[in-house]
Amino acid sequence: MALNYNDIEIGNEMPVFTSATITRTHLVRYAGASGDFNPLHYDQTFIKAIGMKNVIAHGMLIMAIVGEAINSWVGNKYLRKFSARFLSMTEPVDWDDIENTKDRATIIVSAKVVKKFEENGEKRFQCDITAQDALGSKKLSGFFTATLP
Amino acid sequence: MADKSKLGMEFPVYTFTIEKDKIVEFAIAISQKDSREEINPIYYDEEAAKKAGYQGIPAPPTFATSSFFWTGGGLIGTVKTLGIDLNKLLDREEEYEYYGSIYAGDVITRKMKVVDMYRKGKGKRTIDVTVLETELINQRGELVVKYRSTLMEI
Repeated sequence: MALNYNDIEIGNEMPVFTSATITRTHLVRYAGASGDFNPLHYDQTFIKAIGMKNVIAHGMLIMAIVGEAINSWVGNKYLRKFSARFLSMTEPVDWDDIENTKDRATIIVSAKVVKKFEENGEKRFQCDITAQDALGSKKLSGFFTATLP
Repeated sequence: MADKSKLGMEFPVYTFTIEKDKIVEFAIAISQKDSREEINPIYYDEEAAKKAGYQGIPAPPTFATSSFFWTGGGLIGTVKTLGIDLNKLLDREEEYEYYGSIYAGDVITRKMKVVDMYRKGKGKRTIDVTVLETELINQRGELVVKYRSTLMEI
C-alpha cells in the first residue's frame, strides 16, 4: 500500500532494513559502477603500505544502501534532502572466517520521523536516520526530508 | 595537505549523458545483487518506472556523486588538483538537496567548486577538511540536484 502524508506521525519508525553481508565483491562492483577506484577499497597491498589491516567499504556505498532503504519506504521521487556523516569504517566479511566477521559487514538501517512541516508549498517530514553494523558500531548518521501525497 | 589556494576554485564545467545501462550497473551494485532481474524494476524497466510515478528510469539518489570520478582525471586527478593526499583521504559527509529527478537519457551539466577549506584539531590529530559544492543541471536548464561533499585528510 502506498504511503500517504497523513499516515506519517512524529515518532513513527521506518521499517528496519538489513543489508546483505558486504563482501569484497560488492566493493569491487561498487568501485566499477561509481568510478571510485580508491585502492583503499580493494587492494590489500595498498592497505598494507598505508599501515591498515583490511580493505574498507566506500562510505558512499553505505550511504547508497541507506538510500535504497529509504526508497523502499517512501520512494526516491519524494526525497528532498538526504544528508549523512560517516562515523566509522566498514570491513567486508572474510570468507575464511565468516562466523567472526559477518556481523561487522552487515548494515542495519533505522529511521524515525522527527518533524512534519511545510516548505516550498509542500507538506514535508524529516527523519533522523542511522546505519550501524550487527555489532552495534555506528557507521553513519544523518537525516532525510521527503514529501508525500 | 590540501592546497588552500584552491579555495573558491571552480572546476571545468563537465557535461555528460545519463546512460541507462550505467544506472542499471549502479543499482545492481548498491542493491548488492548480481543481475538486473534481482533489483527494483524502476531502475531498468521504463514501464515499471512510469507506473511508480517517474517520468523515466530514475537515477538512484546518490548516483550524482559518481560524476566526481568521471572527469578531471578521476579520483587521482581531482585529489591532485586539490593537493589532497590520497593515502589520507576519507569521505566525511555528503548532503544532497533534490529539486527534481535525474532520468536515463538526461544530459547533465556539472558545476563543482571548492567552497571551504580548513584545518581542525591540534598536533598529530590535525584534520584537513575540503568542502566541495556541486550543482547538476539538466538539458532544460533545471537545477535537479545540489550537494556538498566534505572530504577529510587524516
